[in-house]
Amino acid sequence: MKQVIKGNFAVSHGVKLCRVKVISAYPITPQTTIVEELSEMCASGELDAKFIKVESEHSAMAGVIGSSTAGVRSFTATSSQGLLLMHEVLHWAAGARLPIVLANVNRAVGPGWNIWADQTDSLSQRDTGLIQVYCESNQEVLDSVIMAYKLAEKVSLPVMLTYDAFFLSHTSEIVDIPEIEQVDEFLPPYNPEFRIDINNPRSFGGMIGPDYYFEERYIMHKDALKALEYYQQVCKEFEEIFGREYDICEEYRTGDAEVIVVAAGTITSVSRIAVDKFREEGKKVGLMKLRMFRPVPVERWRKVLGNVAKVVVMDRNLTAGLGGVFASEIQAALYPIENKPMVYPVIAGLGGRDVTPDDIEGIINYALSNDKPTDVPLFWGLKE
Amino acid sequence: MAMKKRSEMAKEYDFTSWRDFTPMNISLGTMLHNMTGSWRFIKPIYEDKVPACQNACPAGNDIEGWIKLVQKGEYDKAYWHLKQEQPFPAILGRICFKFCETSCNRAVLDDYVSINELERFVGDQVDLSTPHPDLPEYNGKNLAVVGSGPAGMSVAYYGRLLGFRVTMFEALPEMGGILRVGIPAYRLPREVVAAEFAGLKNMGIELLPKTGVGKDITLNELRNNYDYMFLATGVHASMKLNLEGEDQSHRIMSGLGMLKKVALGEEVDLGDRVAVIGGGNTAIDAARTAIRLGADATVVYRRSETEMPAHSEEIEKAREEGVRFRFLAAPEKIELNDDGTIRKLVCCEMELGPPDESGRKRPVKKDGVLFDIKTDSIVTAIGEIPLFDYLNKIIKTENRVIEVNECLEVDAKADGKAKIFAGGDIIDMPHTVVHAVASGKKAAIAMDCDRKGVEFAGVLKKIAIGDGPAISFSQYMGWSPINPVRQNNSMVVDSEKIVYDYFVKEPQVEKKIQDANSRKGSFEPYSDTFSEKDALQEASRCMHCGRCTECDNCLIFCPDISVLVKGKGHFGYAFDYDYCKGCGICFTECPRNAITMIDEETPIEIDN
Amino acid sequence: MQKTFDIPRELMTEEELLQPGMLSCQGCGASLAMKLALKGLGKRTVVVIPACCWTIINGVYPYSALQVPIIHVPFETAAISASGVRAGLDARGEKDVVVMAWAGDGGTFDIGIQSLSGAAERNDDILYVCYDNEAYMNTGIQRSSATPVGAWTTTTPAGSIKEEPKKDIEEIMLAHHIPYMATTSVAYPDDMYMKFKKVRHITGTKFIHLLSPCPPGWRIDPSKSVQITRMATQAKVFPLYEVRRWRFSKKRGRLEENWKYTINIYPDRELPVKEYMKAQGRFQQMTEDMVNDVQERVDRKWDELIRKADGRPLTPNE
Ligand SMILES: Cc1cc2nc3c(=O)[nH]c(=O)nc-3n(C[C@H](O)[C@H](O)[C@H](O)COP(=O)(O)OP(=O)(O)OC[C@H]3O[C@@H](n4cnc5c(N)ncnc54)[C@H](O)[C@@H]3O)c2cc1C
Ligand SMILES: Cc1ncc(C[n+]2csc(CCOP(=O)(O)OP(=O)(O)O)c2C)c(N)n1
Ligand code: SF4
Ligand SMILES: [Mg+2]
Repeated sequence: MKQVIKGNFAVSHGVKLCRVKVISAYPITPQTTIVEELSEMCASGELDAKFIKVESEHSAMAGVIGSSTAGVRSFTATSSQGLLLMHEVLHWAAGARLPIVLANVNRAVGPGWNIWADQTDSLSQRDTGLIQVYCESNQEVLDSVIMAYKLAEKVSLPVMLTYDAFFLSHTSEIVDIPEIEQVDEFLPPYNPEFRIDINNPRSFGGMIGPDYYFEERYIMHKDALKALEYYQQVCKEFEEIFGREYDICEEYRTGDAEVIVVAAGTITSVSRIAVDKFREEGKKVGLMKLRMFRPVPVERWRKVLGNVAKVVVMDRNLTAGLGGVFASEIQAALYPIENKPMVYPVIAGLGGRDVTPDDIEGIINYALSNDKPTDVPLFWGLKE
Repeated sequence: MAMKKRSEMAKEYDFTSWRDFTPMNISLGTMLHNMTGSWRFIKPIYEDKVPACQNACPAGNDIEGWIKLVQKGEYDKAYWHLKQEQPFPAILGRICFKFCETSCNRAVLDDYVSINELERFVGDQVDLSTPHPDLPEYNGKNLAVVGSGPAGMSVAYYGRLLGFRVTMFEALPEMGGILRVGIPAYRLPREVVAAEFAGLKNMGIELLPKTGVGKDITLNELRNNYDYMFLATGVHASMKLNLEGEDQSHRIMSGLGMLKKVALGEEVDLGDRVAVIGGGNTAIDAARTAIRLGADATVVYRRSETEMPAHSEEIEKAREEGVRFRFLAAPEKIELNDDGTIRKLVCCEMELGPPDESGRKRPVKKDGVLFDIKTDSIVTAIGEIPLFDYLNKIIKTENRVIEVNECLEVDAKADGKAKIFAGGDIIDMPHTVVHAVASGKKAAIAMDCDRKGVEFAGVLKKIAIGDGPAISFSQYMGWSPINPVRQNNSMVVDSEKIVYDYFVKEPQVEKKIQDANSRKGSFEPYSDTFSEKDALQEASRCMHCGRCTECDNCLIFCPDISVLVKGKGHFGYAFDYDYCKGCGICFTECPRNAITMIDEETPIEIDN
Repeated sequence: MQKTFDIPRELMTEEELLQPGMLSCQGCGASLAMKLALKGLGKRTVVVIPACCWTIINGVYPYSALQVPIIHVPFETAAISASGVRAGLDARGEKDVVVMAWAGDGGTFDIGIQSLSGAAERNDDILYVCYDNEAYMNTGIQRSSATPVGAWTTTTPAGSIKEEPKKDIEEIMLAHHIPYMATTSVAYPDDMYMKFKKVRHITGTKFIHLLSPCPPGWRIDPSKSVQITRMATQAKVFPLYEVRRWRFSKKRGRLEENWKYTINIYPDRELPVKEYMKAQGRFQQMTEDMVNDVQERVDRKWDELIRKADGRPLTPNE
């Protein structure tokens, strides 16, 4: 059933379709409407879940850690400051190997207060062990929620899916909302091997010494890497049922490209317009859309980017003193390649500043006309 | 005891490859493999110790032991248990001076436990003439007991339990010594004494009244016919006032003499007023007897009330019954009428000087202040002394006592078959019934050791109770205590060791004593034995010092779950030393100090 | 034979939900407390443990001394984690299982008070137990807001004595309108047992403040830990009482709000606070004046408590 809905509602609908049992969340702009809608769904009985109206994001995540350990499908959502407040518990959720799904609306972090799109919040959580999936459209958001549970429950790791503040969260798009029967077929009820069980009592997450901690983390790393493969499987299964195609990362007109723009979130959409324009002009420009960022699809990146001359990486985030997170990780991934492409790291759109197709066009032209980057990174649109 | 060790159920995991690991941090089993017992440097053990009351009892009466049985309503068992250390509960339960009660730890909380009343209760639950149910074969040795007072009774009882063939010689027509002819019937009914003797007789002890040694039979005869002899002839002569005319009146008599006459049913002529001279038990008994014979009695004592050797309870009762007291007065002169009746007793006012050897303040004459006491008769009760003529100088005596060694054996001069022992009032020992009983127990054990050729001193060490001098007959016999846990006789549990937090105040059960008016007209006993309800109530006040009662405190408080209940059919608990960390909480929280902390290295045999 | 505590023998001998081999110090009140708590709660209990000594006590991977499900959670999340577990179990239909958050004083009075307040305000159906050893023991004895005046800790060393009185957590919790609040202590096992048994049947947030001795932290001999904890109640430093919020009104045929304070232990011996303090190494730096101040405060609070327990309807703010 097709409906025109905002990105946040796409999340709520996804959560409902997945028959989530426990939700624990705390409001923060621009995530608020997710919470509101879910809370209404719970109140009306449309969704048979317990909504714990916690007093903080830290508790929001801690709450679902509890419910997930009890063996039920659990969900939370947040953004920006809220995500940062969760930091400790994000590590915990991952270390505890809990298949929680977290929706994060990418928003800038303070100070000063800025509620607009920026990926610094989620990227600063990249070491927590959560799987990260970046979304570009409301449809993708909804579909990603459903796929997230499938993946999370398969690899016993939490998944964070993220999408841009306002550009998606509060923007209406046509979304095909799947039938719940189809979702049920795709996503069986959650029934973990290990959960809180009175008849088989265990301790979860207890003390572990230097002799064993190391291996536990290794196992977690191995399983995280498995997510790459699993996710592709999940996407295939999803496609079979729902007809929409997803992947760990997506290529657009990259076949013979000499320049590839790399972007995540809504910048991908504007980049696609720019790429089309260059192609019309006969210029071999392509786009790689980042979807899964943790675990890092190193091999795929190398395959897509390894043979091009130039790679432009769009970062709507900033690690002060280094630059963009995506650029640095892509550079690291490409490092072992012999004839590595020249990477042009670009910081753009921080704090919700608009990034238009014209901007992308300008950035591509900058890459085309320079043998190597003039600024590392290039702050596109900086008021000089 | 079949208890599976928990440490044997421990399962350990040793992951050598990451592939062995659980997919996430979850537990697979208990911590039982972690034997925290290795942290310990001191360890608790369960140990029965000596309660302060038992320690104070000259006979080492296992009070806690039989009170526990009373609490369970097992009176028969309690009776026989009691008799292991103190064979005459019906007697001592009535007239003992109750050393136990004065040291009862409960007094710190509210009031002592009425042990003596409970003892009487236990004594009255069983027909006293019932012989001991567990009499051994004769051991081939015979024992002559001279004197049928409590010392003689005790040696006969224990002697028989040890297999001696016992014969008891008594000069008087009635058996029992002071119990029969000294202590008045209102305090100790004749029937009780008689029943005890029936019991002794039923145990096979030969009783020969009217057989005075030195008169009807000589000491030497006994020496030649018996393997062992026990002398317990008591102190039956009275000390003199050493005043002129003392022997010239039928109205002047000794206290014991008077009591004896009354006891044997003979007439005594006291007149209307009696002055009893002295401050001991004989004086009080004489005065109270006089009251019962219808006379007015005044006790004349040369010191003040605090120095009186008589039991304070007895003084109190005497006063209630109308006995008057004239303290700080000493007889100076007796003036007689021609017919031998008394004109007056002239006394001298006394005052108290510095203490004498006995620790009491010495009475000294207040210079020359004299006064008269009008009286019809004078009863002297200033002390009893033994009559040793029958010893024929064969046996050494000094200061009116027979000298004995540690085994109570007498150093007999001339030869003869028997080894001679002595006890009761004729040896250097406090003059009380329980001391007499204790001496009989000790002598019997000493004789048995001698018979077996075992060194007594070594045995004594093993069976001594607490600080001594009491010794345990049951331990000598190897009878196991009620609770089969380690027995520690050397440790006495005094009030310092009791955790009073665990005891709730509970008043003593009131003793039922007739009022003075109704009791002074009669020689009938004036107090009743506890009813069962009262006995149970009073018994419940026992704190069981030093003895485990399975109160569960250790079980409840052990932070390391290292106290195990022994389970059906077994008493008490066991420590699981695999895990006990030696924190000592069980020791501190044991209300009654039935746990001891010992050095981890101390080698012990523990019946856990 | 007469037992000291009114705790059924069968309960003490049945299969233990807590097995030995624990890593607690000698004489630790925290392990004892858990053992006794589980006697009251029984098998159908889930334990939620934030950072505190109990994270250590329970053992190392892959073992667990507790034989009921236990989930370890971050330091400040005891209450909400329990709420989460509650929600999860409810969703599975296991409504009769008690979810017990078991946190130290640091995890309760300080870092965890936010999430505790949240859970209590929502009246989540959990049991929250603060085993209070009056400092951060796990990290080596640092002050918490539960540390009493004058107690030595590594962050209140000589010369920097703690002058601030202990936070009044009971009243804080009551201000949340929870249905049940109680104090208890390992020195009174039957009181503990009674309360832990009772809370099984109360819906909503139950808060139990439990005094738990710590021999190294209190600088006392391990064997004295229960005794000294008992002294805390005898000296009225730590009164044992409980507060129920609801009463069934026959007239209205439904529950009505009625704050009922019940003092469970009236000390039968007058024990000055001084004696309690003298018995512990941690109070040795206190001056006489400080001790007197504490005595005054203790007396005043006891009077207040008596008044509240008088039966008058009271609001928690009185
Ligand atoms: C009036 C009075 C009241 C007392 N009240 C108490 C009391 O309430 N509680 C208490 O604990 N103590 C009391 N005592 C002390 C106590 O009675 C004695 O310490 C105790 O009886 C001593 O016991 P015994 O066996 O050594 O001697 P006795 O009881 O004196 O018995 C000795 C026996 O030996 C017999 N005898 C003596 N010479 C011979 C001989 N040559 N041949 C054969 N038989 C002989 C005597 O006739 C007598 O029967 C009291 C003493 C007196 C005098
Ligand atoms: C967020 C966080 N801060 C600090 C710590 C370190 N830490 C662990 S336990 C603890 C103290 C615990 O004190 P308390 O709650 O009183 O329990 P106790 O150890 O005394 O039993 C601290 C500070 C932590 N684990 N997490
Ligand atoms: S430090 Fe204190 S609370 Fe922690 S385990 Fe040791 S005794 Fe128990
Ligand atoms: Mg603490």
